Amino acid sequence: MIIQDLRTYRSLFTQYTELRAQENRIMNIAYLNGNLVRNTKSAVGGVSARAYAGGSWGFASAPGYDQVREVISEATLNAAFLDQRAKKGHAPFAPSCPVAERSFATTKPRLSQSEIMQFMQELDGYIAGKYPSLSSRTVSLYNLDMEKSLLTSDGASLYSLLARTVFGVSLSKDTATGPVEVFESAGGLGQFEDVFGEPQSLFPVIDTLYEHLEKKSEGVYAEAGLKECVLDSALAGILAHEAIGHTAEADLVHAGSVAGDYLNQLCASPLITLVDFAHTFRGQPCPMPIYIDDEGTLAEDQVLIEQGVLKGYMHNKHSARRFGVSSTGNARAYEYFDEPLIRMRNTVIVPGHSKLADMIASIEDGYYLMKPSNGQADTTSEFMFGVVLGYEIKQGKLGRAIRDLTISGVAFDVLKSVTMVSDDLKWSNAGMCGKKQLIPVGMGGAAVKCRINIGGR
Amino acid sequence: MNDAHIYCSDALRRLGADKFQCVLTRKKQVELNLEGTEMSLMRSTQDVTLSLMAIKDLRKGEITVNILDQKSLDEAMSSLMELCATSAQDDAYDISPPQPKQHFDIGPSEPDVDRMYALLARYADHTTARFPKVRLAETIFAHALTERHFTNSTGVDLSSRKGVYTFTSLFSAKDGGKTSSFNYSQVALADLEQELLQCSSFAVLLGQAAEQLEARALPGKFVGDVIITPDCLGGLLSFYVSTFLGDRALIAGTSLFKDKLGQKVAGEQLTFGARPRSPQIADGYAITSDGFVAEDVTLIERGVLKSFMLSLYGANKTKRERAKNSGDCFVVEAGDKTYAQLVAGVERGLLIARYSGGYPSANGDFSGVAKNSYYIENGKVLYPVNETMIAGNLAELFTQIKGISAERVNFGGALLPYVAATGVTISGKQ
Repeated sequence: MIIQDLRTYRSLFTQYTELRAQENRIMNIAYLNGNLVRNTKSAVGGVSARAYAGGSWGFASAPGYDQVREVISEATLNAAFLDQRAKKGHAPFAPSCPVAERSFATTKPRLSQSEIMQFMQELDGYIAGKYPSLSSRTVSLYNLDMEKSLLTSDGASLYSLLARTVFGVSLSKDTATGPVEVFESAGGLGQFEDVFGEPQSLFPVIDTLYEHLEKKSEGVYAEAGLKECVLDSALAGILAHEAIGHTAEADLVHAGSVAGDYLNQLCASPLITLVDFAHTFRGQPCPMPIYIDDEGTLAEDQVLIEQGVLKGYMHNKHSARRFGVSSTGNARAYEYFDEPLIRMRNTVIVPGHSKLADMIASIEDGYYLMKPSNGQADTTSEFMFGVVLGYEIKQGKLGRAIRDLTISGVAFDVLKSVTMVSDDLKWSNAGMCGKKQLIPVGMGGAAVKCRINIGGR
Repeated sequence: MNDAHIYCSDALRRLGADKFQCVLTRKKQVELNLEGTEMSLMRSTQDVTLSLMAIKDLRKGEITVNILDQKSLDEAMSSLMELCATSAQDDAYDISPPQPKQHFDIGPSEPDVDRMYALLARYADHTTARFPKVRLAETIFAHALTERHFTNSTGVDLSSRKGVYTFTSLFSAKDGGKTSSFNYSQVALADLEQELLQCSSFAVLLGQAAEQLEARALPGKFVGDVIITPDCLGGLLSFYVSTFLGDRALIAGTSLFKDKLGQKVAGEQLTFGARPRSPQIADGYAITSDGFVAEDVTLIERGVLKSFMLSLYGANKTKRERAKNSGDCFVVEAGDKTYAQLVAGVERGLLIARYSGGYPSANGDFSGVAKNSYYIENGKVLYPVNETMIAGNLAELFTQIKGISAERVNFGGALLPYVAATGVTISGKQ
């Protein structure tokens, strides 16, 4: 159990300091072909402090909750070590002191481990019984509870429990040209009891996935080259996160990201509005709601692109001062021993006005790309996504499935080519973003019609 | 609790575990961070984790905790036994058999923080002076001391104490409105004798960053040669091992090599292995994750598959031999050509310095972007490229090796040469 109220330690602060107690609890279960290959739990918690001296940060952490005094002292010494040598002479930050408390712990009775395993076995048994021709099947369950409390010397304080529960299923089948695989995930914000009901509610997810597998096993390789495509929401979400979001993180802008050249310029189709939401979208909590960030700043929505114009970047306190703006509350840390970095929260392309069916119907020869496997981008906004599920579009109709491929491009060029944006939005809450540390993020968006480079064989 | 593993061993016996293992890991890390060329953060962390695994009636559970008071440990073990009770039976679950008690000391236990600061400051200064168009992004110089104590119910008692410095730097170049793709490298070090800029491939990559401001799109599409740089090779080898040699691929039966042990699966120039005990590897390890003393393993010898990379569970499950270590620490034997000779042998192709792509399919198909890469024609490296994709099959790529360089780069966690191969589809902007 973490220390929920840190105020008794405030007298130990001698300069600007953040004190955080945090515990991440993870449950991880996976069955491969009916064999339980993962059945683990972990609970990792402790305290950390970060102190600021003249422009230099010192950070220290220790496991458990009985070394708070030592951790604050060590962080202060670490800041002094750098300050004495670097001598930057920066002033303290302008104080901010928001207060928030928010828990996404379930209020329902908790299920036992045995009941959760039964849920998984039922799903695995359903697949094994209904689809015996599969060469391989995997079902998995991942739950993360991040519980933290934060106090800053300015008086900002936070207690939060963010929970994520994700069911994953992967199916593969042997074909004459080798094995073919598809996967899907379901779930999102909340603990198991709030996210899933009866296992039968996931049967349609499995059945739909199997239909895709059947089509993909007879699929074709996509033609390489620049093609007109509809990127479904899962791919649009990765586009928003990887291809634009990272280039608009202020530390990467400072390091030379191409987004630094585009502020207040038209950099995308006027149909594109792209936002990193803090915690709420259309009255509902986002997949990874952040109310106060790990520097004690009130988290606010940050519009990155509005009707095609780049409007701003995501900031922590340090970058905000460098850029002469206010922090947007994007400083986040994953484990208790991690320092806050500028990270995205819930990044989406905001829905437009087109219907997905009309978007597909409008393409003569192209692809409907549905499911990414992973994605990466760099400071030029050049990106690549693996695509593991998609279909040909021929004369406005969906055609044959396509085999795994990679798409790539320069994000701002791709966004300039967008001619339609769908009127719906789907969230994904399974993503972990990597940047020194991992961090859970929400992403999603509308589907977009654009021109994109296909890497065929 | 300092003797948590003893406490847990006694308790797990009482709780009726048939077999169990306890791994207590204590880690202390100190790191200095640059933001740009400015020192931004000094971070010191401690962590302790206790990982417990128990098997009862052929059912297994695992739990990891880091709060080691008696109450927390009792709760963890209760939860562990519940995990066991609710898991499925599998006779492949096991723990390592009795072995002599051993302790291993690797690398420097204490960091020299003043020397770290001086080296990092000089790295920032030298980079600014030699590569004025380069912008440093995330640059981290760390020392980690990891103490691990592995015990199990067969009496295994292995411990290690490992200290290692690691240096990572991520950067790009900027000149007016031009930005290069980011690139990065990392190195693990047992001592602080060398300037950081002289380690592994940093100077080469920083120099290339400025060149890559002038990257051009490559027209058309062709099947050609590639020269894979040491920085790029490590990632491809990791893909290769997990796609064809690892637990998941062999248990699922998706590995193309599942029946190829002792047979030729790659070009005969290729010999490589996982060598965590090699004196050339600063960031090695002495104890495997399943409780054996690690030994160096040759995976491919002159193109012939010599070992899978199976854990104890994977080996039991597939009735094959367990690998003698837990993987990584790849060492590829040097070839008999120079890098210049490899380039001279390319009629048309790419020098691939970084691969940004999806995880290969189970059959080894891959497709991704050649980042920080150069076009080669008629034996000459001509210009850096952007928006260029490569596609092929990982198994085929390693059967079509044209040559391996005599020069190798020591990353501390791997020792890798340049590898030239053919048969890769290269697509420029069309």
